Amino acid sequence: MIACVLIPRFELSVAAGGLESLAGRAVAIAPERGSGPIGEVSGAAQAFGVRAGMALGEGLARCPELELLGADPIAVAAAWERTLRTLEGIGAGVEPARPGLACFSLDGLRGLYGGSDELVLVAARRALDRPARLAAAPTRFCALAGALVTRPRRTLIVRESARAHLAPLPVALLRSRERTAPLVDSLERLGIATLGELASFPRAALADRFGTAGIEAHRLAGGEDDPPRPRQVETPLRESLELPEATGGPALEHALAVLIDRLLARPERRGRTLRAATLAARLIDGGSWRSGVTFREALAHPERMRLALLPRLAGLPAPASVLTLAAECFGPPTGEQHALLDQAGVHRRARLREAIQQMRSAAGADAALRVHCLELDSRVPERRVMLTPFES
Amino acid sequence: VSGPRRLSLPRPARVCAAPGGQPLAVDGRAVAHVRESWLVEDRWWTEQPLRRRYWELVSESGRDLVVFHDLADGRWFRQR
Repeated sequence: MIACVLIPRFELSVAAGGLESLAGRAVAIAPERGSGPIGEVSGAAQAFGVRAGMALGEGLARCPELELLGADPIAVAAAWERTLRTLEGIGAGVEPARPGLACFSLDGLRGLYGGSDELVLVAARRALDRPARLAAAPTRFCALAGALVTRPRRTLIVRESARAHLAPLPVALLRSRERTAPLVDSLERLGIATLGELASFPRAALADRFGTAGIEAHRLAGGEDDPPRPRQVETPLRESLELPEATGGPALEHALAVLIDRLLARPERRGRTLRAATLAARLIDGGSWRSGVTFREALAHPERMRLALLPRLAGLPAPASVLTLAAECFGPPTGEQHALLDQAGVHRRARLREAIQQMRSAAGADAALRVHCLELDSRVPERRVMLTPFES
Repeated sequence: VSGPRRLSLPRPARVCAAPGGQPLAVDGRAVAHVRESWLVEDRWWTEQPLRRRYWELVSESGRDLVVFHDLADGRWFRQR
């Protein structure tokens, strides 16, 4: 069984300073840099027809009293990290999807909490410091569907098969997955209203029409899903610097250089290189800003890090009062010994290995595979070749 | 990293066939032309022998299809 924890309007409640301050107010997260779609909206704003992702002009036309709150990604990330650690504190291996949504497997936890799924969910609810919707079901997708319909402070446990539970639910649920979200409008236009109708189609037909996204949608609707992949918990490595008022230009660049030097000097780094980092800032006029950078190769050279991070500072929407640099993902340790003779093959393999690591950190574990020939002359096509993880 | 997986695995297909076994429509698409047909018999010395009648077809939309009829259980599959 998989449990899903859904905390609705997580980003909005953090930006507003608590759920209580949202009561009765039509509030939305303001678009970044003044244009683009609005973020999460409060219940009162939703009653006026305002939706997350809507253009600001349309939102204001539907609800002229709409209040806009500046996004606060730093506070959201900190609050979400606290929530995840709370869940991990009960022993759960948590896979976070986005702030406010996470799932974990109940299989290893029943023995710790009295032997039933209900008691594990009770423990999870007790541990959380804010109202959350909890549901458990045979798959992640089914658990999310349960969490979306259950009432706050109530728990739903789906005992029937995932396929049977999902059958009467609308295809709009597929919006919760990045890969299947673009399909929803097309499916609705084709008259496919429920997941049960979708599951009744042959998978091959959906693959023909929608490609791999169609196969994924069919799998989800049919009650198939991948198990949760718990995150790797590491001690956060971050450095912050308070800035004098209205710092910009060369002073900001200098602050970044100081942060890079401090981060690289931290003993917790244990000589490892950095593969990805996050640059964040608390803004003088309230709110915050955050930008992630994945380096072209894992590095620990301050000048090269500065060159990669510097262009991101141009995206700051307002002067910053605090600048923060955090390590997100580590690479192999530095300090490799160079060979006396030039070994082109070794260098090439090392670069290839590095490129594969980088690709996998950006696109997932299956980003680099090798076609392995088994019986090329076999008359049975599935025996000829297979895909294996690429290992250089 | 996920484990090894085979390519070109057969996928179930809905095939409407003539009494002689020649496919007339595959997954609702009418067959315009049969390019080739061949028989594969393998593993007859094991507990799970393999007997397939393959058909290489061209659909009315011009698509090249390879389907086979599993002669052991009577089901149809598509395969590239």
